[in-house]
Amino acid sequence: MRQSQPRRKNYLGLVGWVWGGNYKIERYLYTLHRITGLGILLFGVIHLCVTTFFRIQGQDVWESAMALLHNPWFKFGEFLVVLAFAYHSLNGLRLIIQELGFGMGKPTPPVYPYRDSLRKNRSWTMTLVGIAALIALLFLYDFLTGGW
Amino acid sequence: MKKEESRQIVFKVQRYNPETDSRPHIDKFVVPVTHGMTVLDGLLYIKENLDSTLSFRTSCRMAICGSCGMLINNYPHLACHTQIQELHASTLTIRPLPNLPLIKDLIVDLTPLFEKHRSIKPYIMRRDTSEMDNPTAEFSQSPEELERFLQFTYCIKCGICVSACPTSATDKLFLNPQALAQCYRYCADTRDDGEQERFQMLDTENGIWHCHLAGACSDACPKGVDPAFAIQLLKRRLVARIAKVSTVTEPAPVVPPPTQCKPKLPFPEFTVKRDPNAREG
Amino acid sequence: MRNSYLWLAQLVTGVLIAITLGIHMVWMHLDTILNFLGVELSDPTSWISMIQRSKEVIWVVLYTMLLSFVLYHALYGLRNIIVELTPSSRVKRITTWSIIILGIVAFAWGSCVPLLLLSR
Repeated sequence: MRQSQPRRKNYLGLVGWVWGGNYKIERYLYTLHRITGLGILLFGVIHLCVTTFFRIQGQDVWESAMALLHNPWFKFGEFLVVLAFAYHSLNGLRLIIQELGFGMGKPTPPVYPYRDSLRKNRSWTMTLVGIAALIALLFLYDFLTGGW
Repeated sequence: MKKEESRQIVFKVQRYNPETDSRPHIDKFVVPVTHGMTVLDGLLYIKENLDSTLSFRTSCRMAICGSCGMLINNYPHLACHTQIQELHASTLTIRPLPNLPLIKDLIVDLTPLFEKHRSIKPYIMRRDTSEMDNPTAEFSQSPEELERFLQFTYCIKCGICVSACPTSATDKLFLNPQALAQCYRYCADTRDDGEQERFQMLDTENGIWHCHLAGACSDACPKGVDPAFAIQLLKRRLVARIAKVSTVTEPAPVVPPPTQCKPKLPFPEFTVKRDPNAREG
Repeated sequence: MRNSYLWLAQLVTGVLIAITLGIHMVWMHLDTILNFLGVELSDPTSWISMIQRSKEVIWVVLYTMLLSFVLYHALYGLRNIIVELTPSSRVKRITTWSIIILGIVAFAWGSCVPLLLLSR
């Protein structure tokens, strides 16, 4: 076996990390989990800056900032953050349960056709995603009918 | 397709010769396919009749050696285990397994896979090394204890789970799903006592915590080993140990010598009696 | 066992954030919630109610805890995303240290402002 020639790299890279073309839905749920997490982080940074910088400058600056933030665009941004938080927390709960191996059954000797543990629990996973979608619809209704 | 029919299927195979090519390219072959032909049969037809320089690994042709893993129509399969008809396509694109270094054509270098497997110490480790060096009896293990890890012993080290894993696509030092599942197989084995040593390998920067339960490895595994399940159970063990809620038990004891069996039967009588006083000759 | 502790802390802070952020969200929207029941309450984002809250120790403690949990959880997640994408250990070290520094600075800034105003 010739080791002198370097082997050609054969990694899927960043494209394969995001879209391998053949990942199951749990991977895309995790990608969405990360995207919502980054979105919430961005919101958190802005929120921290607003509640500290505008606060120390006194009441007038605060009140004008609050008036500015009642703008519909900001309200829409808040709505997106609420959606992101609802999905992130429900999916996080699912990840805590499944990543510690609870509720996935016992190892059984494989008999063809093979059904792995994630496939067996896919109905529970989709139920959680459905609940998150329901909450999203509820908040959408609340957002559209005003009051925000 | 009826048993007698034959169809022409186009095989697009990725070729790469490190001595002449600078990049891989695709070659097209037309293969007559009959009922029951596997992708491996198609590749052997190409090698025998169309282009004998096509290189790929194959050995047992019955999905037990793990040599012929390839990316067939963008999904990793064992070539001997995949019927051409089940893919429902008139064009097959065959590429080598991704996330492993490429040597030539469809052959990948499995050395990283074996090195990572070796690093998690895939053998029984016990503190009483005297028993391991000079075994006197078997270790006792009930069928229920065996069932807890039997599924993960069916791994044939084909490397398909490594190709399917999204974390392995960017993280070159990630311990593969295969190594992690085998680590659980040894930690869950009641005969073994080496959990603490193996956890040193798992707790590293690129160890078990980069697994995020994509489940692609379990879906692609050709033997139904379900490595994702093993990895999550291993995470549970690790967390139980650091949260100090684990039930650390002694490893399986040696089976004691039997005390309830009947005493040895006496040596049978000679059928030809010999007179001890008779003279020889 | 460092990485295992960090990952377990990620889980634990996640659950704690769900609880404390839930309290924060409910309090912020208490006026809309109670409006359904016909009770009128003052706007919690107004200056007066905010100053009142910042004088109570329990709110300061709650907000400091929420800030620390959120900073740990979010920055650990961000660091993991970056570290998974690059093979170079130099980049990993740089990102880890810059995220630690960022976290300390953000926590100091976010907690010193209400603490200063509490004493005022």
